[in-house]
Amino acid sequence: MTETESEAETGTGSTAGSGQTGEARTDVETGAGPTTEATTSSYGEAETDLAVHLDGITKRFPGVVANDNVDLRVERGSVHALLGENGAGKTTLMNVLYGLYEPEEGRVVVDGTERMFDSPRDAIDAGVGMIHQHFMLVDSMTVAENIALGDEPTKWFGMAVDRARIDREIRELCDRYGFDVDPSATVADLSVGVQQRVEILKALFRGADVLVLDEPTAVLTPQEVEGLYDVLDELTAQGKTIIFITHKLEEATHAADAITILRDGESAGTVVPDQTNKNDLAERMVGREVLLEIDSEPMTTGDTVLSATDITVEDTRGIEAVSGIDFDVRAGEIVGIAGVDGNGQAELIEAITGLRTPDEGTITYDGADITDWSRRRRIDAGMSYVPEDRHERGLVMPFNLVENSILGNQRASEFATDGRIDWENVRDHTDDLIETYDVRPPDPDADASSFSGGNQQKFIVGREFERDPSLVVATHPTRGVDVGSTEFIHDRLLELRQQGVAILLVSSKLDEVRALSDRLAVIYEGEFIDVTDPDEITEEELGLLMAGQRVETDSTGSSTAESGPGIRPDAGETGDDAETNASSNGGRSR
Amino acid sequence: MRKRLGRARDTLAANPTATAVGIFGLVLLFLVATPASWQTSTLRLAVPIALAAIGGIFAEKSGVINIGIEGLLIVSAFSSIIAVHRLGDGGATMGLSNLWWGLLIGVLVSVVVALVFAVVCIDFKADQIIAGLAIWLISLGLAPFVSRIVFGSPNTAGISRFGNVTIPGLSELPILGYLLFDTEPQVYLMLAGALGGWFLLTRTTFGRWVVASGENPKALDTAGVDVRKVRYAAVLLSGVFAGLGGAGFALGTLGTFAGGGDTAINGRGFIAIATYLLANYHPVGALLGSFLFAGLNSLQTALQSAGYAIPTELIRTLPHMSVIVVLVLVGRTRLPDAAGEHYESGED
Repeated sequence: MTETESEAETGTGSTAGSGQTGEARTDVETGAGPTTEATTSSYGEAETDLAVHLDGITKRFPGVVANDNVDLRVERGSVHALLGENGAGKTTLMNVLYGLYEPEEGRVVVDGTERMFDSPRDAIDAGVGMIHQHFMLVDSMTVAENIALGDEPTKWFGMAVDRARIDREIRELCDRYGFDVDPSATVADLSVGVQQRVEILKALFRGADVLVLDEPTAVLTPQEVEGLYDVLDELTAQGKTIIFITHKLEEATHAADAITILRDGESAGTVVPDQTNKNDLAERMVGREVLLEIDSEPMTTGDTVLSATDITVEDTRGIEAVSGIDFDVRAGEIVGIAGVDGNGQAELIEAITGLRTPDEGTITYDGADITDWSRRRRIDAGMSYVPEDRHERGLVMPFNLVENSILGNQRASEFATDGRIDWENVRDHTDDLIETYDVRPPDPDADASSFSGGNQQKFIVGREFERDPSLVVATHPTRGVDVGSTEFIHDRLLELRQQGVAILLVSSKLDEVRALSDRLAVIYEGEFIDVTDPDEITEEELGLLMAGQRVETDSTGSSTAESGPGIRPDAGETGDDAETNASSNGGRSR
Repeated sequence: MRKRLGRARDTLAANPTATAVGIFGLVLLFLVATPASWQTSTLRLAVPIALAAIGGIFAEKSGVINIGIEGLLIVSAFSSIIAVHRLGDGGATMGLSNLWWGLLIGVLVSVVVALVFAVVCIDFKADQIIAGLAIWLISLGLAPFVSRIVFGSPNTAGISRFGNVTIPGLSELPILGYLLFDTEPQVYLMLAGALGGWFLLTRTTFGRWVVASGENPKALDTAGVDVRKVRYAAVLLSGVFAGLGGAGFALGTLGTFAGGGDTAINGRGFIAIATYLLANYHPVGALLGSFLFAGLNSLQTALQSAGYAIPTELIRTLPHMSVIVVLVLVGRTRLPDAAGEHYESGED
């Protein structure tokens, strides 16, 4: 294995980007179609210890080659990471393995047998289980009902579901793999981490030997991620094979035994984590050198732009989601809010942007009380907003980019005179956005719905940043965005900060909020449980805070500030030396 | 007022068991406190509502809101009467009473119309509400039209109805005996339909697939079950249940079909929808709920014949008004997450 991998690394090093970046050993075979048959037997014995072998997979969609002659060899009992940017073809490749897509060319070999999967059903029967990024669970059903769905054992000659047997089998699986999941619990009541375990159980229940996890950590807290790594260890210890898709370098190097990198639908080589580093991986992913560290120079902050006092907000169910939060954001400052989703950050942001009226408290903006201002007035006053849900609030999906480019600006004088929109002008503006923010494909007339999530996000970010704002409220600005574009968005945020724009940043990516923020508030159950200096808190401490556990720290200024007069910056003290300490564990690097 | 209603609603929602017991208690009270003739009339009037509601549950649980159930009741009621009339009133064909042939044909026609609805909604992705309304409007016009061709009038000729079927032994029980075990076939069908519907929905693989298809079709699809087939089956099943309801009602309770105005069905399909929402998609709950509305219907008839000086138009709105009151009290039922949404496999 190690041999193969190191060969592969060197092999691809020389041929990178040529489209035939398979392992060195198979260079000869994959080079030309007709020889494939002859070679099948030649490495037939090698294949017996491969759980999955995807051989020269090519999958085309109208106008795009999603996978171009991609090879993937996964050894039995190993964890194999599939690393790549958004749109690199990782999910497509896995959907081929799972029978959702039929490849135009190439072979799917599972357990040494060549397979043609017409549907997920076939893949399941062959022992391939998929854990999708968005869990495929029915929230209103119980754990047991979900796990057995589509595969229910029956009794009374098929008349009724054998519920006792399902429960028994789930308990057996839980015992074997050390899961603590109650089969009778309703899925909607479970935390995301447990739901993920239910998904894994679902695959195991169907007898899966190969588990494919699509971006498994995207929704987890740092503690839950650790828990997931333990689960993966336990699974591989029992002979299961794991393939996980990710665009996060740390995860690939941390958890995988081997990493295959995809770029633009082509394989950019397979490497062993010990023999590589993040810069190398990033370069393979993006195809150019990427600056992983964020340099945020200390800024002298200006006047207070946004000030929130004692904000209390009820959510749609009438439950208090935000309880008496105070904070200020000054010009030239990034204030980060970290927290597990659903702890009130959405409601807080809605109150600030004017999408929801706070039940108590006042919001001032540039000195004016804007608590009762409409959304329209707030936009006109220079408040930009990158919304959390880009489909729901960021874009009108059936509109093209030209139309989407002036959402919120449709009355601005440069685009509309006397109520009529100057489409020529808007189109120029759209072209600028597309070019500056690298939206692909660069087609202003395409519907927003036809773009990938990452490109939609880049477009929204561009629209909001180019509005000449004095305050940017950015929620998850890089969610679903690949490394290259993330770097760009981060740079733009820092530029805006440099220009004296006040920025309120909400993100569930800890490294992001830590690296960008000048001050970092942790929200838990509707309150700021702590306000910290991002350079002086470790990722572990942050994770604990997000889980509601207050850490005892001696560090100045980062003690409990929850009921204080609002968070106040510790100006200047951005100890850059902390960065080097933390980054050894992936702390500040991105 | 709004607050108080809201609180009442919260209390009801928080205690589903208590609510169910409460409804059941009301039903029992009704059984004990009212004259026997009124009770039997209520049961017979409940037939189309209960069966249509159970059918509607399956369709909606699978993600297809079948608002055309009123139309299914109309076509099945009408076609069963016309079938009996054509085959010969009171006779038998191939050893089976023509009434039963009428029932079968009524169900068949209802299933065919449900199939049209299913094709339009599932394969052609039409808006379910509009397609459902179309089914209703077409049925509303078609039944009197055919009737006029056959009988020269929007109302059909009368037929001799189903007679009572007595179950020996059980019919001796007090109250329940004459109510449930010495009654007409359509009432038995209704009772069996409620229990069978409950079993099918909650205890079988098909039932689970139906629920999953309405809540998260993608989850079902990735589990290797064809969502399209499940939805087709569920909609066709709603056609079977509604067909049994409509034909049973026409053959057992009415004995004729009046095609004028809102037809003899007179909005019972829509009340059925309110009933299953009230019952939160529980088939047995829908049966009990249908007793409530059918009881009010009997009350309305009783009030009218008693000659109270209340305008009949006002009395006639009683069951419909009560639907609104009850739905306000119970509050919004949680619809299946994917109800009304189209699903296409392979979408990413």
